[in-house]
Amino acid sequence: MSDPVPAPHRRPVIAGLGITDMTRRIYGRTAPEFAVDAVRLALDDAGLELGDVQGLLTNAGITRGIGLSLQKDLGLRDLRLLSEIQAYGSSAGAMVQYASMAVSSGMVDVVVCVFADAPLQEGGGTGDAYAASRATPAGFSAIPYASGLRGAPSMYALAARRHMDTYGTTSEQFGAVAVAAREWAALNPLAQMREPITLADHQASRRIAEPLHLLDCCLVSNGAVALVITSGDRAAGLRQPPVHVLGWGQAHPGYVRERGSEFGLVSGATRSGPEALKMAGVTIQDVDVAEIYDCFTYTTVVSLEDYGFCEKGEGGPLAASGALGPNGTLRVNTGGGELSSYYLWGMTPLSEAVIQARGQGGARQSARHDVVLVSGNGGILDYHSTLVLSPHPHA
Amino acid sequence: MPVGPIHRDLPSTAFFDGTARGELLLRRCTACGHLCEPSTMTCPSCTGRTFDATPAAGGGRVVSWTVVHTRNGAGTVRTPVALVELDEGPWLEGQLVDVEPDRISTAMGVRVDFERAEGGEAIPVFRIV
Repeated sequence: MSDPVPAPHRRPVIAGLGITDMTRRIYGRTAPEFAVDAVRLALDDAGLELGDVQGLLTNAGITRGIGLSLQKDLGLRDLRLLSEIQAYGSSAGAMVQYASMAVSSGMVDVVVCVFADAPLQEGGGTGDAYAASRATPAGFSAIPYASGLRGAPSMYALAARRHMDTYGTTSEQFGAVAVAAREWAALNPLAQMREPITLADHQASRRIAEPLHLLDCCLVSNGAVALVITSGDRAAGLRQPPVHVLGWGQAHPGYVRERGSEFGLVSGATRSGPEALKMAGVTIQDVDVAEIYDCFTYTTVVSLEDYGFCEKGEGGPLAASGALGPNGTLRVNTGGGELSSYYLWGMTPLSEAVIQARGQGGARQSARHDVVLVSGNGGILDYHSTLVLSPHPHA
Repeated sequence: MPVGPIHRDLPSTAFFDGTARGELLLRRCTACGHLCEPSTMTCPSCTGRTFDATPAAGGGRVVSWTVVHTRNGAGTVRTPVALVELDEGPWLEGQLVDVEPDRISTAMGVRVDFERAEGGEAIPVFRIV
């Protein structure tokens, strides 16, 4: 294929977005129930019907609550594309990529992508539930848990510490990321945590896994987000302004577990970012809004470096300069991110990116939103995806 | 907190036979001699896929570390865990035992030991040297 840009009428577009209410904790509903809600919301948003859906991609969260049976739960018949996708935090971006390729090829016209999870149990601790579900009782993969590591926070703590030791990044700089996210969340009616926090609040919040505090960690949530992907032609007559998927990339480093590993220092964004920007025909300087997977404050720091918003090792000072907040120089995680709005894996940055690209961000809307970058990060920096979205088609 | 219970499965059988007798078994690539971490199936150096079991000498250094906080009825328990680079090169996670958490720092030298929870296999832990 000499030209990566598909014919204009087949260019992929995000035409619908559905987000279940996550401004509060909702218990007693299952992941498939959330998923059905989100899909119906996304189709309504687009002005489409269930009968228009030709393809369905599902991504289950930590509880593995949704899968192929979602077709039946939605009453969908005669699908031409159906798969479960799993690349952890990079899945949302990956689903849009696979749906975009399916639409571009002419295989299908309307594909729904959905993520749903319901890990929170009433009265239970979020971290404990999340960690326990990851623990395997036997073999090599069980050694970290048996050694005392407790899921993602403790593994990311090892990554964050390495970054701190190598580049001089500080806990206060991580705190600046949390404070900026909360400032954005205050402007987002979809966000769960909207009360302002200070750097002192961050430093005083209880430790989860040193060096990470509670306020370094994302908001595990029960809910679902769905997107409708269709072709430029089909989107033209629909309800919402189209969001064009201009570029994409994935990068899965495969860190070696031995001397010389870049674990904690460099993420897949160094590869997926340039690939996605090149496909979109833009550079990092053209990015107006960046929605960065922020499972932890550290993840924002390392990702900003790897995309090239600053030099390697300068992510901490960049955050401390105030650049990330609503009054800052960058437009990063404009909805409050996973830290302060809601944590639905890669759907958090992706959903806010669609809102920003459409210009529907209200008080938090970026004045410039021609190029919106979406970063997905999964595992312990193991899996990475990037999207470049725009309200405008390829030039 | 003490180390937790863990059971062997087929791929880890030889490894846990080793920890039971106080050996940390690495995998030595039979094609190129590269010493790999214990769960390796493809040599990162030469893509070889057959290995001999070779005991690690036991020394290493802290690459990174965390202190995990868990809450129980009595308060907060602090458990230090390190990512250790063995002198032979492979990385391994292990609890740091008999150390005051606030004294830990990166690059500290460590030596492997083994602990086991009731009803489980012995797993590697590390002591500051």
